[in-house]
Amino acid sequence: MTLLKRERDIITHNEYADRFDFDEIREFITNAPKELFISHTFKHSNKTLVQPRGGFPTYNKMFALYHEFQKANIDVMPLTVDSHTRLNDYASAKKMLMLSEENEVDMLNGYPLVTHGYRTTRKMITHFNTPVSLRHGTPDARLLIETALASGIFEIEGGPITYLLPYSKNFPLDKAFLYWKYVEKICAEYSTLNEPINRESFGPLTATLVPPCITIVIQLLEMLLSLEEGVKSFSVSFAQHGSVMQDIVSANVLRKTANYYAQKIGCSDATINIVYHQWMGAFPRNKELSDSLINTSTVIAALVRADKIIVKTRDEAFGIPTMQCNAQSVANTKYTLQVLNGLPNISDAAEEENLEAEIHSIMEAVLNDSADTLWRKAFNSIKNGIIDVPFSPHIINHNAVITIRDAQSNIRIIEKGKLPISEKCFAFERSHVSLSDDKTAVINKIICDIGVMHE
Amino acid sequence: MTDRIKKVVTGVVGNDIHVVANRLIDISLQARGYEVFNLGVNTYLEEFIDAVIETDADILLISSLNGEAEGWCRDLQFLRSEYQLKDVVFVIGGNLAVGEAKCEDIVPKYKAYGFDLVFHQIDLNTGLDTLEAFMQDRITK
Repeated sequence: MTLLKRERDIITHNEYADRFDFDEIREFITNAPKELFISHTFKHSNKTLVQPRGGFPTYNKMFALYHEFQKANIDVMPLTVDSHTRLNDYASAKKMLMLSEENEVDMLNGYPLVTHGYRTTRKMITHFNTPVSLRHGTPDARLLIETALASGIFEIEGGPITYLLPYSKNFPLDKAFLYWKYVEKICAEYSTLNEPINRESFGPLTATLVPPCITIVIQLLEMLLSLEEGVKSFSVSFAQHGSVMQDIVSANVLRKTANYYAQKIGCSDATINIVYHQWMGAFPRNKELSDSLINTSTVIAALVRADKIIVKTRDEAFGIPTMQCNAQSVANTKYTLQVLNGLPNISDAAEEENLEAEIHSIMEAVLNDSADTLWRKAFNSIKNGIIDVPFSPHIINHNAVITIRDAQSNIRIIEKGKLPISEKCFAFERSHVSLSDDKTAVINKIICDIGVMHE
Repeated sequence: MTDRIKKVVTGVVGNDIHVVANRLIDISLQARGYEVFNLGVNTYLEEFIDAVIETDADILLISSLNGEAEGWCRDLQFLRSEYQLKDVVFVIGGNLAVGEAKCEDIVPKYKAYGFDLVFHQIDLNTGLDTLEAFMQDRITK
């Protein structure tokens, strides 16, 4: 018995999970309709696919949500998982699901996928016959992903860095890398049966003044960690920065560098797509203004030629949106994309050159780390501060990089910490901001820059 | 303790993951010339006290954003005398009550728990200005 097989046995024999029938699961995936695979949809579509977020505790409410989305002519269904399942606390998820079913009050902030199990969930997924994307935030997602794939969910979001640094204070990063390695292996294995399983990284990170070079380096590393295990379809992503120029430059450079590094490890046969997240920071409390912000994000997604856009709702400042509100947001976004035609190609040579140079410097430092495997190189680089995510709560993160917005609202690095970017690049970053000597004024500016979308 | 750089232990108490304010406090204290030991979010009172002893800190600055600080700080007076920390300045700030509450009710309550300075919904820089003035006062005394 191989080590992976043994690990798999241990993971799937869980009192809170379905009894896994792997022969049946392989047969299901082999014969699954192509419409369930987003990798298939990407291949045969040249428009921006629209996907919201959403998950309710009970089967019936989840079914009703999908029904609303279907009426809005959705491209990709979401399945957002509740927070207990994210932390592998299946006992609490089960208890809260029972309470939700008995009292018709939502006691969970998402769909407890492991608790419902793959046999039940698969009925819903195959009924709607639309690709489903798994949204969670789990450092140890092994059982969750086994359940998702067996259910017919063929897009898996997340990664060892992007699902840990923004969400956790002390879950060990090295463990996260190994647990996600398992996920990549399983996705790769199932990818040989039918259309490829798509993996997607979570580019928004903390959504708080993260500079493009850090976002992109982390996207590239999670992509490489996935491709080296045999995944053939991968989506890199980022969130609206607050400056249109920075969004366009990021998309151009991300597209270019993703292909470059995929080729470098001999994985140019993999398909790489770009996903754009509508504004992930704090929303205005005025719902009409939120609609306007969402619409602006959609226009930018079209300008950067995103393959998929992940939409917000006008209820963002208040909590989990109603299903009607969520479906309306999908319909509005689809309409905006439909009427946006004849978009120009935009680029900014100086900005792109600078961003690309920063990325290559950081990537070079990561790849030159003396560790023997890529995940260890990435681990060491985060530990050393070569990769440093602003506003991460995790104890391993360095918190030495400080960023601020320039006059055009671009995020600029004013303290580079241990980031191995060249003096020339750092000078380019700093040349765009005029900093006051008064440190208090700088901090007040950062506070304003975080809340840049407030009315 | 006049000339040397002042050491501050800071962090967010309890099951509270509000990291943005915590980072801003860290940067602000550094900008004002303090040596900062930031324990980050989700920190328990015992961890704060351990860090104060370990670093020989001058100030302990606890913050709380979700309003649950009261439950976490009741043992402060006891720990303070247990470890003989009477020279350390104890500060708490942020949003110190769940729901609406008046400063005149909150401040005496937290002072009774053993805090020297209490900032309920006070702007960050105003709070730190007050802290600096308080420290200056102690030196001149």
